Amino acid sequence: MNFAKRAFLYISRKRGKTISLLFLIFIVAVFLISCFGVLNASERLSKDIRTSLGAAFYIRANTEVSMNENGESEVKKNSVNILQKEIDEIMETGEIKYCNPINYGYAKSEDIQFIPGEKHTEESNMGEVTALRFSALAPDFTDETAALIEGNPITETDNRKILISEQLASANHLSVGDVITLTHAKLGELAGAYIDEIPIKTAYVHVEVSGIYKLNIEDTAIKPTAGVAENEIYASLDVLNQLHESETGIYTGEVDFYITDPVQLESITRKVQLLPSIDWTTHFIRTNDFQYSKISDELQSLGGLVKILLVLVSIVSIAVLTLLLTMRIRGRLQEAGILLSVGISKKQILAQFLLEILSIAVLALGLSYIASTGVTKFLGYSLFGELQLNLLNEETLITGVKSGIQIENYLKLSGAKILLIYLCQFVVVTVSIFVSSISFMRLKPKEILSKMS
Amino acid sequence: MRILEARNMKYSYDGNKAVLKNISIEFEAGKIYAILGPSGCGKTTLLSLLGGLDSPSDGQVLFEGEDIEKKGLAFHRKNNVAFIFQSYNLIDYMTPAENVALTSKLPPLPILERLGFTKEEAKRNVLKLSGGQQQRVAIARALASDAKVILADEPTGSLDEDTAVEITGILRECAHQMQKCVVIVTHSNDLSKQADVVLRLKKGELVQI
Repeated sequence: MNFAKRAFLYISRKRGKTISLLFLIFIVAVFLISCFGVLNASERLSKDIRTSLGAAFYIRANTEVSMNENGESEVKKNSVNILQKEIDEIMETGEIKYCNPINYGYAKSEDIQFIPGEKHTEESNMGEVTALRFSALAPDFTDETAALIEGNPITETDNRKILISEQLASANHLSVGDVITLTHAKLGELAGAYIDEIPIKTAYVHVEVSGIYKLNIEDTAIKPTAGVAENEIYASLDVLNQLHESETGIYTGEVDFYITDPVQLESITRKVQLLPSIDWTTHFIRTNDFQYSKISDELQSLGGLVKILLVLVSIVSIAVLTLLLTMRIRGRLQEAGILLSVGISKKQILAQFLLEILSIAVLALGLSYIASTGVTKFLGYSLFGELQLNLLNEETLITGVKSGIQIENYLKLSGAKILLIYLCQFVVVTVSIFVSSISFMRLKPKEILSKMS
Repeated sequence: MRILEARNMKYSYDGNKAVLKNISIEFEAGKIYAILGPSGCGKTTLLSLLGGLDSPSDGQVLFEGEDIEKKGLAFHRKNNVAFIFQSYNLIDYMTPAENVALTSKLPPLPILERLGFTKEEAKRNVLKLSGGQQQRVAIARALASDAKVILADEPTGSLDEDTAVEITGILRECAHQMQKCVVIVTHSNDLSKQADVVLRLKKGELVQI
């Protein structure tokens, strides 16, 4: 009878022992694959967040507070005054992916009845216009206060395009593709009433509704009609130029810059602040890493924990596996003695033990592959489920839709990594068998039989 | 015909305590040899050396005139000798037929049937057999190996009187009909009476009675 047949008989007849070993190897494999899956996810997530989510810095105008002659404090908001050539200079500092200059203004339209705010009159029937190069990069869209639900976002190639809120569209029966006429306006206050400071209209522009957005927060503050969030119009940069509220190449709202790597945010802003062409007494820089630091720290500590867990699981599983295999092989000393007495060599006995245990290991590892998918998914959702991340990338600018993170994709281990884990387990099992077999391999057949008796 | 021979064989534990002192003996085919002696005198050690389970400290064991170390002890155990132990030493996860097939150069079933097993019994779990049946399986395994020498260590030691008589009969048949050389280590006077040659091991020396 050859060793393969003996191995088969042992596996099939000693079911309890076979199942217990199968279960142990299975559990160890599931643990290892799951831990490696989570570790892999935390590392890949960290990398993707760093490269896709990016970071931004905004050049804004200072607000000055001074005391007037009556001893009252006066707040004076400076205007941003950044020229296109200064933007070009900043872009040349490197690592900047996008620039999004913004101008602010007001607009009225005979085609639109705005959502009424405080003390609404026909004169104050206006909305605020945010003219920009990329609407998807507007802070309201990046922080998800607003989200495009229909149509396309505004991009740098667009002219005479606007985005309006779903409430404004619904109230005025407007839909994507409709063309309306806007005229200039300026919100003022006179004797407690809101007025339009440009009563005589000289500038008009026909604009197309490019998209409709919805607001994800409810603004309950009491504001004039122009301040109502639903009345905000996002427009391509040329719209306010046409309404004579801004000039081409001069930006007075704010200028936002987007970079790919949040880690470089500080060094880039330091370089920008050294540019002499911008008056830094009236301008300041605000940075936004889209919570990269916080998320990155969370992911790093999670990765560290998983690494510790992996080391512990590996040590414990190697110890338990070696112990179990040692006990198993020592318990078969009598069998080894019998086989030796009938002329079967030690090598053949060892080959039988190896074949038995490695066959069980193959089955256990196969089963673990199926089970670990579920366990990894469960662990992944438990650990990363709280991360509500959306990746900001090229696609976002064009479609206006941010691609959310699919945790499942991050948890999947590559075939090569799984094979490597299995290979390591095979090595551990094989080494354990050899180590456990030393006890009987070193004994003479007579000594084994003496021990038996 | 001389088949197995111990020549000037010595054995000591750890090089100090001499268990066997200069033993020279020849064993012939077709005969039963009984080796008697008090407990701990080295009977089982002598059998182990003859069977190639261990090597003598000095001297030689020859099978058909050739030193067993030449082809290796495992070869000797596999091809030349077969053991029968007091505690049967069967593999517990194998049936009688599979235990016999372990060393089989011959088909196991006819041998088991010759020793009184039915086909069903031959496929039963070996641990569910009686002591006598288990010892018959051990004998069948020895016969299946087609070895010319059968070395039996207290083969009836765990059996009742009737079964011991039965097993002794089988061993006699092995020697006298199958022309095997059967060497039995025993305390049993009844068993030694059935032997063709009775030897006594005393203080490390073997003498014929």
